[in-house]
Amino acid sequence: MKRRVLLVCVCALGLLAGLRMDARQQPQAAPATQPPQAAQSEFVPVKDLPAAEQMPAGPLVLGAYGFMWAVVLLYVFLLSRRLRAVQKDIDALKAQTRN
Amino acid sequence: MSPRTFSLVIVAAVAGFLAAPFLIAAAPYESTMGLVQKIFYFHAPSGMMMFLAAFLSGGAGAVYLFKGRPAADRLGLAAAELTVLFGLIVLVTGPLWARKAWGVWWQWDFRLTSSLLVWMVFVAYLLVRKYGGPGSDKLAAVVALFGAANVPFVYVSVNVWRTLHPKTTVVPSLGPGMREPFWFSVLIFLLLFVALLTVRLRLAAQQAELESLYRDLDEGSVGV
Repeated sequence: MKRRVLLVCVCALGLLAGLRMDARQQPQAAPATQPPQAAQSEFVPVKDLPAAEQMPAGPLVLGAYGFMWAVVLLYVFLLSRRLRAVQKDIDALKAQTRN
Repeated sequence: MSPRTFSLVIVAAVAGFLAAPFLIAAAPYESTMGLVQKIFYFHAPSGMMMFLAAFLSGGAGAVYLFKGRPAADRLGLAAAELTVLFGLIVLVTGPLWARKAWGVWWQWDFRLTSSLLVWMVFVAYLLVRKYGGPGSDKLAAVVALFGAANVPFVYVSVNVWRTLHPKTTVVPSLGPGMREPFWFSVLIFLLLFVALLTVRLRLAAQQAELESLYRDLDEGSVGV
């Protein structure tokens, strides 16, 4: 078991070393990028965000109404389920007491 | 409530909720908040129903503590569930509105924090009733009283302390285009509240009948 572990480690090290040698030997491809921009020397404040960057309100409004509907409908569903279960128990007990 | 009245309430509430989006869409935009302000037409009425349910639960709890009436206990429990329900709507729709209007989902100011605390008090009420064992009904009634006593502070907090939340003067000062959809929303939420409370009370009454039947069955088997 120990020999097997040692063998795996040696193979992994060898593979890593091989990869590094390959990387050094291959010439670095020139990246197809824009010319480097000058680093920003200051932050310029603005009062309002440009319209394109403002958070859209539509999803928030729809989400709020959708959540409200979902919660109310879920509560109504749970209530009706509880009502049916209790009514079933009552009917069963009444039948039992009659017998 | 008679079955006929209850049916009318249900029909009116459903019709109202179907009509409400058209009225709200036709209302004018608010000058600084724009479209997101339309959450107000469901958020504020939900808050009103949460306060109403909390008062009802606290009042019923007080009657149960001092007079011992089982019907008051059932009303307290039903109203506490509705407090949690409408409070959940308030606590979710509020941050959705706040994210756009204030730039943050939540602020730990007095109005928001105290609303969350009142909601948590009534969640505690429901947990006490479910897991508290014998005597939990009286303990829960005290919890409901405590929760209801906090409601006036939550309401006036926006006028007394500095907060991002709009003040209570917003509603009385609503303009003609906004006033009608708002009060229409309040009305349909009230109808929904009454309908849900009626159904929940019926469930509580049935559960009491079931317990009574079990007791009779036990007494009958003991007698034999």
